Amino acid sequence: MTADVHALTGAYVLDAVSAAERDEFERHLRECGTCAQEVRELRETATRLGRAAAVVPPPALRAAVLARIAQVRQDPPEASVTPLRPRRPWALRLTGAAAAVLLVATVTLGVLLVQAREDVDRSTAQAAAMTAILAAGDARISSQGDPAEGRMTVLSSRTADRAVLLAENLPEPPPGRDYQAWTMGAEPRSAGLLPDGGTAALAVEGIDSADRIGITLEPDGGSPLPTGDPVMEFDVT
Amino acid sequence: MGDRVRRPQEVARTAPGPDGAALLARVARGDEAAFEQLYDLLAGPLYGVIRRVLRDHAQSEEVAQEVMVEIWRSAARYSPERGSPMTWAMTIAHRRAVDRVRSAQAAAERDDTVGRRQLVRPFDEVSEQVATRLEQEQVRRCLGSLTDIQRESVVLAYYGGRSYREVGELLETPLGTVKTRLRDGLIRLRDCLGVTA
Repeated sequence: MTADVHALTGAYVLDAVSAAERDEFERHLRECGTCAQEVRELRETATRLGRAAAVVPPPALRAAVLARIAQVRQDPPEASVTPLRPRRPWALRLTGAAAAVLLVATVTLGVLLVQAREDVDRSTAQAAAMTAILAAGDARISSQGDPAEGRMTVLSSRTADRAVLLAENLPEPPPGRDYQAWTMGAEPRSAGLLPDGGTAALAVEGIDSADRIGITLEPDGGSPLPTGDPVMEFDVT
Repeated sequence: MGDRVRRPQEVARTAPGPDGAALLARVARGDEAAFEQLYDLLAGPLYGVIRRVLRDHAQSEEVAQEVMVEIWRSAARYSPERGSPMTWAMTIAHRRAVDRVRSAQAAAERDDTVGRRQLVRPFDEVSEQVATRLEQEQVRRCLGSLTDIQRESVVLAYYGGRSYREVGELLETPLGTVKTRLRDGLIRLRDCLGVTA
């Protein structure tokens, strides 16, 4: 009954609809200018109803909110934002050597993705992180060690705010110890444990204002803060 | 003295204060000092409407905090087509409060305590704050201009967080009629309060 959907404007504005009805009605609003205008007006009316219920908020709320926002990233605006640089695919500028490293890193990750059948979520996250980093204009890659005796490669992008750590042939950690990754800015923050030695990948969401990623050896299960100096460090600036 | 007397709604509108839209634009650029001012502007109405719907103090604080953080996070996505900054914020707040109150455990408790004919009142007490008291008077007066069923439906839906189906059950009214009453009631309120978008 198409006539019926317009009658939902009031219920919608009062949030008196189910989640499914809300989604459906919002799709309708994109196509119905009359309803959209009515919703705009009735929303202001509903706001008046809400304002009549205003009370003095608990003082503790203010402090809690201000503390929280200091830790929360803001979203960018939607829709047309002109990029500062024209976006080209593969905007990485790589030297021959770095390109070779990237190729190996990508192949390694591909192998890992094939192997990681039992942990689809983690491998999907890693693939997504790789894609985001490589699509950003400021992707950075660095590598330490060599494939025979253990190599760690870090891909990072500040604008994508992520990094991927790729370990190849890492020596097994001593018994009772794990490799732990950290983002290091003003303070170290744990980025997770590397899955044992050998060949593995770790996606790091949120490098924030960190300028390095470090790897330390920690007791099994990891530590809240590093207990020793990094065995490896990478710049992500 | 006649020309010095002003009608309540004029007093409310001409009262000086920070411009919400300007603050929000600064917040969108990460200005935390602007956010503090925006908090002071919004917190009373946001917390108030959330608590009105949720009733529970602890949950209300939790949801109010989530909403304020959401405002901080999505400030850059505000645009005037979403309404005034207050409307944008109150829409987020009311929606979150309603979603929370409809979650499973809350629903179980609610049905026990609210009898069929024990209807939700718009607000519990007269506010000590002049601006809010003026709002309350206007809203009470304009709600009074609705038919009983329109008023009951709107109040149950907005302040009670009921879906239109629940309103239909509580008032023993067909769904189509409930939808019409909610819409007509809001339109009448809009005309009485003098809102244009």
